[in-house]
Amino acid sequence: MIFWTTLLIIHGLLALALLGAVTHQAVALWWPVRASAGSFVARFRSVPSTSYVGAIIVLYVATFILGAWIYTQYRFTARLALEQLRFFKTVGIFELKEHLATIGLILLPAYWAYWRKSKSEEYAAARKSVTLLLAILVWSNFLIGHVANNARGMGS
Amino acid sequence: MAAAFTIAYAVIYVICTEVNLPLITYHPAIGEIDMLWRPVKRGPAMYWYGWMLTSLIGAVMVAGVATLVPEAWLQRAIAFGSFLAVSYLVVYSIALFIYDQASVEMEFLKWRSLSLVAAALIASILVTAIPREWHKRLWYGWVCVVPIGAIAVLAYYLVPYFTQ
Repeated sequence: MIFWTTLLIIHGLLALALLGAVTHQAVALWWPVRASAGSFVARFRSVPSTSYVGAIIVLYVATFILGAWIYTQYRFTARLALEQLRFFKTVGIFELKEHLATIGLILLPAYWAYWRKSKSEEYAAARKSVTLLLAILVWSNFLIGHVANNARGMGS
Repeated sequence: MAAAFTIAYAVIYVICTEVNLPLITYHPAIGEIDMLWRPVKRGPAMYWYGWMLTSLIGAVMVAGVATLVPEAWLQRAIAFGSFLAVSYLVVYSIALFIYDQASVEMEFLKWRSLSLVAAALIASILVTAIPREWHKRLWYGWVCVVPIGAIAVLAYYLVPYFTQ
């Protein structure tokens, strides 16, 4: 049990780092600072978006692999308990999480391709929309994971 | 190629989950892996890994083919596929609505193949009606539109979990 709990904590920490990186990038891309950054919010918005691409891809893949591994344990322990407790909404929303994680993963090749040509105006709109969708997926999965863990997670 | 891969994967993944076409089945309680779909043994069976692998093979093949065909054809094919999906949803919903409301038995309205043919017809007309200019280049917005559509379908099939 300690092994799986440790993996879950690492998975959560990686997800947190990913959440921070993708939120930074999405905000800087959609709401860029025009003048010199002064306040905290302005500094948050003024990060160089391009520098986050590699980190986001690596963090996403690492978080995904760990999540997919932990999922094997969840499937025949926590999920069975959730079903016995008739927590069907929690089970359902976790099912959605697996699909959202997959869709996020397959966005990465296009995300990387659009950011590789970060100076190209041709890909500007695609870059913005893919980054926003990826951020929404990461946020959704983070929150769903949090809810599921609260229902029947670590130490329960 | 990256765009074609993402779009193809999203579509194939939805089909794999709904028709249940896993390349492998994993039995987590006993740690066994079987090829293709297998029923539960001791403990539950997991198909998610299998769906992803099936979709990966399909998407790589489609992306490979996509590099060989002109961009305009690719754009046309994706537009047709998207219109087909939306048209099918609308046509089949209308058919079921009429079937429910009708005072006489019209069993044919429940035939999925009939709605599919009608949707294909509508999609063909819509693709033809689109200005030629729009088909010259691949619209990169598909990379978001198709996965969002896939999420909508996947979420719809999970509704029973929320209505129990």
